[in-house]
Formats: sequence, structure tokens, C-alpha cells
Amino acid sequence: MGIEVKHLVKSFDKKVIINDISFKVDDGKILSIVGFSGSGKSTVLKLISGLLEKDSGEIIASGGDIAMVFQYSALFDSMNVFDNISFALQERKDLRGKYTKKELEKVVAEKLELVGLSGIENKFPSELSGGMQKRVSFARAIVTEPKIILYDEPTAGLDPISSTLIEDYIVRLKNETNAASIVVTHQMSTIRRTADSVLMLYNGHAVFEGTPDELCAEKTPYTKQFVEATLEGPMKMN
Amino acid sequence: MENDRLVIMRVYYKSTYTYKIFQMFRKEFENFVSTLGDIVFYGLEFLKGLKNKPTTFKEIINQSARFGVSSLPITLSIVGMTSIIVAMQVAGEMVKQGGGNYVGMLIAILMVREEGVIMSGFAIISMIGSSLASEIATMKVTEQVDAISVLKVNPVHYLFTPRIIAGTFMMPLVVILASVFGILGGAIASNLVSGLTYKAYFDSVWFGLSIHDLNVCLMKALSFGFVITLISCACGMAAKDGAKGVGTATTKAVVWSFVAIVILDLIFAAAFFY
Repeated sequence: MGIEVKHLVKSFDKKVIINDISFKVDDGKILSIVGFSGSGKSTVLKLISGLLEKDSGEIIASGGDIAMVFQYSALFDSMNVFDNISFALQERKDLRGKYTKKELEKVVAEKLELVGLSGIENKFPSELSGGMQKRVSFARAIVTEPKIILYDEPTAGLDPISSTLIEDYIVRLKNETNAASIVVTHQMSTIRRTADSVLMLYNGHAVFEGTPDELCAEKTPYTKQFVEATLEGPMKMN
Repeated sequence: MENDRLVIMRVYYKSTYTYKIFQMFRKEFENFVSTLGDIVFYGLEFLKGLKNKPTTFKEIINQSARFGVSSLPITLSIVGMTSIIVAMQVAGEMVKQGGGNYVGMLIAILMVREEGVIMSGFAIISMIGSSLASEIATMKVTEQVDAISVLKVNPVHYLFTPRIIAGTFMMPLVVILASVFGILGGAIASNLVSGLTYKAYFDSVWFGLSIHDLNVCLMKALSFGFVITLISCACGMAAKDGAKGVGTATTKAVVWSFVAIVILDLIFAAAFFY
């Protein structure tokens, strides 16, 4: 079933940030949300993950957890990789005490293997590169087998090769978990490599919805300006 | 015409210093109410979470070690030096006036009723309160607190509980050690300055102190520990706006903790010694 968002609205201090947005992502599919900085992309993720409360609209998610990968990884810097990944299993009220130390080690090793980082359990986030931190945050996100994974600008601040690697892992995790994924990004490369569908936001409105090919082919003023990365067009930077 | 005049008057009024000063006070008052609201809200949320045992004994021990060990050198130094300064100023004079037998009592009462607790409180605020506030504020602005929430762990319960429990129960230990250290410092200073014997000094210490003093001292220490850690954690959790927000949260935690323990001290003095 994945996730379905209907007529979502969110305002801050009477300013409407998300204005009547609707979309659907099925299990095993990836939706890319694109748009200018400040267009409300990350707000959509925060509303879905429950970090923000919506003003109105509906968010219908299939049962199970919603995981989120943050823009700058948000790893707990006082904990090593093992404790970061196993955090939910150790601290969540409904999971606390359910796993023995051996089982935790096994789960963490499996997740690290999935993101290609076996054997770094004892390292601290400060000892890892940006790309590695990002992959550890992927492992932390999938530790509870979520049904929905949200990625907030997963390639931000990474070099092109690390970005490609991260994009590969997004697709790999989708295939492994069959989760519905939403990727917020500015990068056309991320859209091309990962997305099954694309939603473009501008000033809190959805101005395009379709496939990555349609985004590139369709010549509406919004899509043309975004794909060609030009200042000429209806979307104005604040 | 009348409307135009009103508009002109409004524009003129907004450019006056009276208006600007009024706006400044209004902003400060709003900040005050908002911080007080944050502290009360997070305090209630912390208490609500206690029934779920949101922390482990190991984490409380870790925080207690941080609280006790890292604050002890500075706390003992401050309280010890305060007592030495007081002894240097009063011991010689009191011995000259024939009141040498009361020097120990004076220093002990001063340490146990007042200086030991309040000076330890100030030291703890500077060492631990500021560190708690900046730690939690950094976690907040780097989205680590959001990450805890998304992983379905209540960040207030998870972060506050071990810190507040450790702070509340370690503070009396720190205060006891600091007060003992202060009384010893007073003894040495009195002996050096006025030649007062240690026996005379400690005899008057036991004479002057009562169980009531010790009980009030411990109650004060418990409440100071709770208030300092709660305010520091709450100010950290309310941080926003990046690195600047971390600085603001830390300053706020220190200032509010200072004011809170002085007010508490006043309440204790009025309730138990007036």
C-alpha cells in the first residue's frame, strides 16, 4: 500500500508553506520531491514522519515504522556506530530488552553489510567520512524494518562519486526492504538514478507530477526552468 | 483627513525612543514568558516519563560520574577559598575580641547553611549546567533530537531523565564534600592568621551545628541539583537557529539557573531560618 498523502496543508505564523498537496507512493517505489530551497520539500517529510503536525489533510501510511535519513546524517556523535544503529532496538519502549547483546550484534552486522560498511561498529561518527556517515544513517534507519523510508537531501554535501554510491544504496535498500521511499533532492542525477516518480513543489504548491522522463521531456515553464537550471522562468528565488 | 493624521501620528510614534524602548521591554518579557513556559513544559514532560523507566542505571551512573567528578575540583576550590577568605577576615578580629571559641561555629554555620550550597550551585551551573545546555542544544540544531523522535524514543524522557536524576542526587554529595572542605580550609586559615588551635576551632564547629542545619542543607542541595539540571536541559532543548542558538541556549541556562537558585535560597532562608 505504501503511503498516500491527501490535501496536506501546513502553515507557520500564518504563512502557508504546504498548500493542498496530494501524492501516493506504492511499496517498492521511490518518489522524488524536488524544488527550490524553501519550497516546502523537507516540511513534507517532517509532516509524514510526525516531527511536525499538519494543519489539515490526511497522511495514510501502511502499518509499520516510518524511517528518516537526515540531510547531515544526524548520527549521535557521543555514540559509536554500533550504538547508533542499535539505538531504537535498545531504547524504544516496545523493543527495549527484547534483543540480547548477541542478537543486537548480529542485526547491526547485517545492516552494516547491507550498506557496505562491515566491521566499523566501534568507530565514532567523527572518524567517518561524510559518505560513510550517510550510509551508517541508512543502516540506522532500516534497523526496525520500516515500511516507509524518507530521505532528506541524501546527497547534500557529497562529491559526485559518493553521491552516485549513495544513490545506488537508496535503490538497493528499496529492493531489499520493498519500502515506499520518498527522496527530497535538488539533484537531477539523483532523480534520474533513483526515482520512479517526481513531484515538483514551488511555494508550497505541486507544480509537476510525473516520471523522471516526463520531467525532462515536458516543457512547462516550471519543469523547463528546473531541468535547465536557469534563472529565467516563473520560479523566483527569495 | 482624520485618518491621515492618525497614520502620521502612528509613524511618528514608531520612530520615537519611547516606542523603541517599549518594544525592547516587550520582547524581553516575551522571551521571559517563553523560557518559563519551556521550563514548565519540559519539567512536566520529564515527570510524566518517569513512570516508564526511560533510562538505565548505567546511564545514570555515567551522568553521575560526569556530574561529580568533573565538577568536584572547581567546586572544592571555590568553596575552600571562600571559607579561607572569610576566616582570614574574621578569625584574627574575633580572637582579639575574645570570641575565638566561636570562629569554628561561624565558619561551619556559614558553610552548611549558605556558602557550601550556593557556591557549589554556582560552580555546578558554570561547569555542568552550561555543558548540559550546550550538549542538548547542539543535538537539537544538528537534528539528533529529531532523529531520536523519528526512532520513536521520546527525546525529553531519554535525554533529561538520567541527567536530572544524576544532578539531583549528586548535588548533595558535592555539597557535603564542599562544606567539609570549606570547614577544613577555615580551620587552617584561622590557625595561620590568629593562632587559633584546631581543637578550639572544631569544638565550636560541633557546638554550632545542628541536625536541622544539615537537613536544610541537604534539602537545598537536592532542590538546587534538580532545578539546575532541569533548567539547563530545558534551555538546551528549546534551542533553535544553529550555532547562535547553541550560544543563546547556554547563556540562558546559566542566567536562569543562577537566578533560580538565588530565589530558592531566599525561600529556604525565609522558611527555615527566619
